[in-house]
Amino acid sequence: MVAPAGVNPAEINLIRRIVLGRKGQKSPLIDIAQVIALGAGMIWLTLQGAQSMGYNWQWYRVPKYFWRVVDGELIWGEFVHGVLVTLEIAAWAVLISIGVGLVTALFKMSNSLAGRVLAVTYLEVIRNTPLLVQIYLMYFVISPIIGIDRLWTGIIALALYEGSFAAEIIRAGIQSVERGQWEASASIGLTQRDTYRYVVLPQAIPIMLPPLTGLFVNLIKHSSIVSVIAIFDLTTEGRNIIADTFLSFEIWFTVAAIYLSMTITLSSVVNYMEYRIRKRSW
Amino acid sequence: MSYAEIFQPRRQDGKIQVHWLDFVVIAAVAAAVWYVYIQVNTVLHYNWDWNTIPVYIFRWDVEEGRWVQNLIVQGFFITIRLSIWSIVAAAILGTIFGLFRVSPSLFLRLLGRAYVEFVRNMPPLVFIFIFYFFLSDQIMPLIGADDFVHHASPTAISIVEVLFGQANLFANFLSGLMCLALFEGAYVTEIVRAGIQSVPRGQWEAGTSIGLNRFQLLRYVVMPQAIQKIVPPLCNQFIQTIKDSSIVSLISIQELTFLSVEVAVSTTRVFEVWITAAVIYFVICWGLARLFAKLEVRMAASRG
Repeated sequence: MVAPAGVNPAEINLIRRIVLGRKGQKSPLIDIAQVIALGAGMIWLTLQGAQSMGYNWQWYRVPKYFWRVVDGELIWGEFVHGVLVTLEIAAWAVLISIGVGLVTALFKMSNSLAGRVLAVTYLEVIRNTPLLVQIYLMYFVISPIIGIDRLWTGIIALALYEGSFAAEIIRAGIQSVERGQWEASASIGLTQRDTYRYVVLPQAIPIMLPPLTGLFVNLIKHSSIVSVIAIFDLTTEGRNIIADTFLSFEIWFTVAAIYLSMTITLSSVVNYMEYRIRKRSW
Repeated sequence: MSYAEIFQPRRQDGKIQVHWLDFVVIAAVAAAVWYVYIQVNTVLHYNWDWNTIPVYIFRWDVEEGRWVQNLIVQGFFITIRLSIWSIVAAAILGTIFGLFRVSPSLFLRLLGRAYVEFVRNMPPLVFIFIFYFFLSDQIMPLIGADDFVHHASPTAISIVEVLFGQANLFANFLSGLMCLALFEGAYVTEIVRAGIQSVPRGQWEAGTSIGLNRFQLLRYVVMPQAIQKIVPPLCNQFIQTIKDSSIVSLISIQELTFLSVEVAVSTTRVFEVWITAAVIYFVICWGLARLFAKLEVRMAASRG
């Protein structure tokens, strides 16, 4: 077959392969259609199930919780407020957790016995207790003692939890810098601080960036747990709307979709960053 | 890093070095402890009363005339049962979807991928709430968990009690179990996929060249090798399951966290109860982590 002018024959082959499949194989489009059919089937089952329990779908009542226009004035709804609070919590928590993680990683690699004991104790305590129990402990025990408000209790609890992951990411990033780099810095007479500042961190930080962004994704997910201490994040807003309207399915599906769109978008950014780094290093 | 390693002196002559950071850390920790002590005793005037706690661990049953376990121990056992059954169910689910993830069929790969991405990108709390509404309304009546318990013989009931805890909470336990299993299944799927993909390509090719079909290939060549890569992270996932199981307390599954809330509310000994709960979780998870680490070392050594 002669390709029309301006069209790459390889491209035509690729398109043909996607539509018709390789020789003797079925087309990937059939598989994709199967997945869509399965998804549609599951949605149908859900709707059927909901109908059999007499559930009355009222999707038209949902949009007003995003925004509504009253007298020509735009009023942001509960979902938007919830998303903003969730992002606020995640943003503060990621900053603090990077700080905590950095200190922990440096303590753990230091020559100081007390520093190492403190770092490892912190890591073991955080890793071996559930986040929910940490939140309760923070809310009921620590926050009255040090006197912080509810929002900051949630932020600090999340930051301490994610800080244990940040510590691992930072330690792995620093240790991924080759030994020769340290030796070279020592041989030109740099102090330990200058070695970190001019040699190690500039190489380690690009490696840390994708997993640290992944940490932010995790924080958005885990921040939903602060709804147990009544911080008005997306999950709490969702629960409140359900308490008001009994639209449990509609609201939970909407809340889930909002979380999924935030986390999947950010996850694909992480994938792209990893891809860029891999491409550059080879 | 284990504690044994921390105390290894880093200098060649075997002396433990004192670093300036030691003084800073010790001073900071001491200051923090002192601050908390002052706040608790003079500002909050908190009355410590640890005597309440043991009663909720074991209590003296006057009618039966013996010691019986109380809420905290009950919760502990429910948490353990829930975690064991969940990881078993998650392992089955994860093996199926893990095989989907490496299947030659694009349909199955997409299905596996969709499941994993869906669960891992959703907040656990939201996931559990959504599924709980379905489970309690739809699936529980469908499989007839309540009917089963109402009509079961006393022997069946006692078996259920050993395996799943109190019989009247069987349906409740089951819905927590399903939520947790579906949730952990996504993580096990990735563990199984990574395990299978760690088997070198040459093994697949060699298997194919001696005429094994796909099932035989997986059964006799790939899985026996993959399982060594799957077991250690699966053990860690079990610890993760114990921790994640605390979340199902929010859908009223009566495990350790849920009962701790109850004890804290009914006794108002908030500090003591939450510290106790955290210590219990820590002891289980930390102990298991040490145990698994030891087993892993032994496994690696025996493999040579």
